[in-house]
Amino acid sequence: MTAAADQHPAVQVIARGVATSVRDGGRRGLAHLGRSRGGAVDPEALHTANRLVGNPPDAPGIETSGGLVIRPERAVLVAVTGSQADMTVELGPPLGWGVPTALPAGCTLRVGRLRGGARLYLAVRGAVVDRRDTFGLGAVEPVDDPSLGTAVPRRLDRVVRVWPGPRLDWFDDAAWTVLTSTQWTVGADSDRAGARLDGGAIGRRIAAELPSEALVEGAIQIPPDGRPIVMLADHPVTGGYPVIAVVDRGDLEVIAQASPGVAIRFRSAR
Amino acid sequence: MTRHAPAPSAVPGVRILPYGPDALLAEYDALDAVLSVAARLRRLALPGVVDVVAAMRTVLVVHDGADREAVVAVLSDVRLEPPEAGPLVVVPVWYDGPDLAEVAAATRRSETEVVAAHTAAEYRVAFCGFVPGFAYLVGLPPELHLPRRATPRARVPAGSVAIAAEFSAVYPSATAGGWHLLGHTDLPMWDDTLAEPALMVPGMRVRFEAR
Repeated sequence: MTAAADQHPAVQVIARGVATSVRDGGRRGLAHLGRSRGGAVDPEALHTANRLVGNPPDAPGIETSGGLVIRPERAVLVAVTGSQADMTVELGPPLGWGVPTALPAGCTLRVGRLRGGARLYLAVRGAVVDRRDTFGLGAVEPVDDPSLGTAVPRRLDRVVRVWPGPRLDWFDDAAWTVLTSTQWTVGADSDRAGARLDGGAIGRRIAAELPSEALVEGAIQIPPDGRPIVMLADHPVTGGYPVIAVVDRGDLEVIAQASPGVAIRFRSAR
Repeated sequence: MTRHAPAPSAVPGVRILPYGPDALLAEYDALDAVLSVAARLRRLALPGVVDVVAAMRTVLVVHDGADREAVVAVLSDVRLEPPEAGPLVVVPVWYDGPDLAEVAAATRRSETEVVAAHTAAEYRVAFCGFVPGFAYLVGLPPELHLPRRATPRARVPAGSVAIAAEFSAVYPSATAGGWHLLGHTDLPMWDDTLAEPALMVPGMRVRFEAR
């Protein structure tokens, strides 16, 4: 953080909305100290937003699931990626998805309901610092000029490739078929730690208790109720439920952007 | 359905389990094998290895373009190593924990004897987990081994010095917890803003000193 981040003006937070926080790309390589990556649940979306405004890719931006209302106290260059959303700007130009846009001081940006995704990313040139009722500006030096182009929305096809996990042999003979043929629905109890899935139950062959062992982002844990949990950015680094499968890294963004109620399927990666 | 039986390992005492294209999990018969393998992986620092995460019976290796065969070779080497002589952390402890009397009663000792046993031992950071900076310390004298509390507390204060089973630990942040609380320290265990955020890192030696 630079000294500039501690100076006014800033971005006023009129309404924080749902699951809004400032996230950077997270930290890898600290799992042995008990810390998972953290950071944006959909880091690819954050990278794109940062690139559009000329920030380093992992610079802190705003992650929200909607309902965010902010008012910049000075002109800022912003870009929105991740989920689509209903967005309005009072006293300023319209803000489109994936288009770097200059918002004037004193305008009001409303991010309404998200459409087609679970998390929206708002990057601000110079990046932001979370102060709860304001977002401080100028947390990071831009590394580039703002993009002259726009981003292209990803096509997320809701079919997620999975690899066999370390404890597949702890589950019954039908388990892999149930995992890869069920239409799963993302549960409302999902959060930044994991996406919890409804729609079926995966049965165990070995009922013994498993000593806690390491988890990775994308690991699919099966608790005793048989409902899969896909580990996301804030997952615990170890867990005592057996891991049946692990999501291919390239498809993690599908899970990261699957909001409650959305249907997803798994298919075998090999 | 294909049965994905774990690949048979030529080496007794270790099973190498699949964990997708970027990771491997190795399972061992005992914690001392886990600690030897994890220590060797730290020492070798194979290029492309992102994470080495030890736990009770397993070592996870996350790798980015590392030579997977080289990783398998190290994971398969179950020869025991002498404990690492890592840096020593001395933790000042005020032995005023709410469970000290209970632990004394359960181990048929006086509170003074419990404190003496806890401070006499030298511990080693076996692995971390649960929350950032929570280090599982081995080396607890066997006479202090107790199962976890029947009912976990909803909130254990940060800095609580605790024991459970064969481990001791310091809670780095306020969380729920089922360990027996012997006392507290004012040493910060975790600062997320630092490049090296944890006070206790696997391989380090730890002593508790009564205040």
